[in-house]
Amino acid sequence: MANHNGKTEKEKFYACSTKGKKFEVVNPLGEIVKVKGKKLDMQIVEDPDSFTYIIYKKKKYHIEILEKSQNKYTVMINGVWYNFSIETPISYKRMKTLSKVQVVSRIENIMAPMPGKILDIMVEENGEIKEGEPLFILEAMKMQNEIVSNVSGKVKKINIKNNDSVMKDDVMIEIEKA
Amino acid sequence: MEIKSILIANRGEIAVRVINTARKMGIESWVIKTSKEPNAFYLTQADHIIDFSDHTEEISEFLDIEAIIKAMKDNNISAVHPGYGFLAESPIFAERCDDEKIIYIGPSADAIYRMGNKTIAKELARKHKVPLLGGSKGNLSSPDEAVKIANEIGYPVILKAASGGGGRGMRIVEEEKNVAKMFKMASSEAEKAFNDPDVFVEKYVRNPRHIEFQIFGDKHGNIIHLGERECSVQRKHQKLIEESPSAVLDEKLRKKMGAAAINIAKSVDYFSAGTVEFLLDDKMEFSFMEMNTRIQVEHPVTEMITGLDLIEWQIRIARGEELPLKQKDVKINGWAIEYRINAEDVQGGFSPSLGVIEKISLPRSKNIRIDSGVVEGSSITSYFDSMVAKLIVHGENREKAILYSQNALKKFWIKGIKTTIPFCNAVLLNKNFRKGKYDTSFLTKEMTKHYHEGQDDEMLAAFFATYDFVKEIENVENKPVDFDKGKNIAPWVLKKRLKSL
Repeated sequence: MANHNGKTEKEKFYACSTKGKKFEVVNPLGEIVKVKGKKLDMQIVEDPDSFTYIIYKKKKYHIEILEKSQNKYTVMINGVWYNFSIETPISYKRMKTLSKVQVVSRIENIMAPMPGKILDIMVEENGEIKEGEPLFILEAMKMQNEIVSNVSGKVKKINIKNNDSVMKDDVMIEIEKA
Repeated sequence: MEIKSILIANRGEIAVRVINTARKMGIESWVIKTSKEPNAFYLTQADHIIDFSDHTEEISEFLDIEAIIKAMKDNNISAVHPGYGFLAESPIFAERCDDEKIIYIGPSADAIYRMGNKTIAKELARKHKVPLLGGSKGNLSSPDEAVKIANEIGYPVILKAASGGGGRGMRIVEEEKNVAKMFKMASSEAEKAFNDPDVFVEKYVRNPRHIEFQIFGDKHGNIIHLGERECSVQRKHQKLIEESPSAVLDEKLRKKMGAAAINIAKSVDYFSAGTVEFLLDDKMEFSFMEMNTRIQVEHPVTEMITGLDLIEWQIRIARGEELPLKQKDVKINGWAIEYRINAEDVQGGFSPSLGVIEKISLPRSKNIRIDSGVVEGSSITSYFDSMVAKLIVHGENREKAILYSQNALKKFWIKGIKTTIPFCNAVLLNKNFRKGKYDTSFLTKEMTKHYHEGQDDEMLAAFFATYDFVKEIENVENKPVDFDKGKNIAPWVLKKRLKSL
């Protein structure tokens, strides 16, 4: 991409964080990389069999891609991770338009925050639940974690029973928001 | 009594820790292999492996007393070290070892039993004039009794399961109207969790410090202490950072608390390593909380400032030897801080981070000790707890220890999983932690953010994600490789490409 039709310096991308921050990156593979309009003076040391790190302002940054799927990235740097979606100016515009017309779902899926075992379920199907009230107890790594509801509403469906082993992000309970 | 061989009925870093001392002492080490972790690091360190891969019982391999006893008898193993967790505080296991003439490297079954039962332990403390929090003398017989005593000692109060521990089976009650209800809940919870419905009540100290004393006794009646450890950096009652000595104890208070700790241990004729835990309130008043009848996760901070090998002491005492030192000969040198490196996602509420450790690079220095249970290729599974390693840093004083810690953490790199290192970085930058002004409310009150991010972290991460994204597209578009392209790319990209050729 970088060298097509002589457009070497003008390749522009946006790394958009899930928290709404936007980083403009110009010419990421070129000799002079600009982030948010400033020249990024750094060196990447890449080795697939070992660590990859960036040397920037005389400091080493251990960097690792934890997950990527198409343009969605989770990048960990010195142990701290960030989520980004990488957009071109065109896809960025489309994303902006799309986010405005998205329909808000009335069903809230309560997912397992970590893998573990269900010890107790405190709610019943069709029961009312208030925000902050406990839904179930998940045991993971010797700790009992009380999972509370983040919304108020009616319990639509319970997909778990006591002693079930669950994986991270499995849908435990579906709540219809009030 | 001779010890020719030791079975370490444990896994992870503590198994490796015990193996190292056994090797140093010329004792054969044995460990248990499970199907949950067939390639674990500790297995590669031991002299012999007992294969429990076919173990099909619902109970964990490390908790199956009869299977472990049988394995020891079959292999003619002379002693067992339980480590921490699992069977480390099971009086039944210690007694079964006695029955079978296997040396249990730890205290007597009787001491384990009496200190393990909170009600008996409190009664012993009371008898030996060790300060205690106000509360019920023994277990509560009814909700009414709970209300009556709670009103006497004043609110808030805490209801605790007699057989509980590690933060489980506890309820804090702020006002009278909730006491009866909470008593019933705590009791049924305790019944479920510990098979023992007994609950007692005591005064609840808001935001105390957690100070514990390392004590050591032999089978000849000698008991000494090796100073204190400050373990107030906790999350949900789980310790995360420990240090020794404590920044708030003066020599006078240390003497007083040390003497109290020894008194508790004497009340059960204690031998081997033990830890007496105290709460210390903001007026520097201390009260006995509980005694742990085993080696602790955080024992290395004590080893760093005393220069002793506590596992070696445990083994020597189990053999019947006398304590190598008298109280007056115990010398404290400098300051040590321990960081638990857990496979946890701090940003995701400390949830477990499972996966494979692809690469690990550790700091090295004479001030640093790392007790690790993992190597490259190790898997972090949900079968066991999340601690993968401990970093222990020594300094001439607290300030230096903090400085060396920051440098060490910078060089502690793990690829493949998320760890608590960003949390440790954040704690070390906290103003009040640096001053030594912190208590058990530190995490919830002091730390608005549980991890430290550097000024340029997010920007560099954003750049790197973009860089990788564009590179991927390039790779797809430019096959086969166009060698002329090299002319137009930056030197650091070239470096990588040359490497991969």
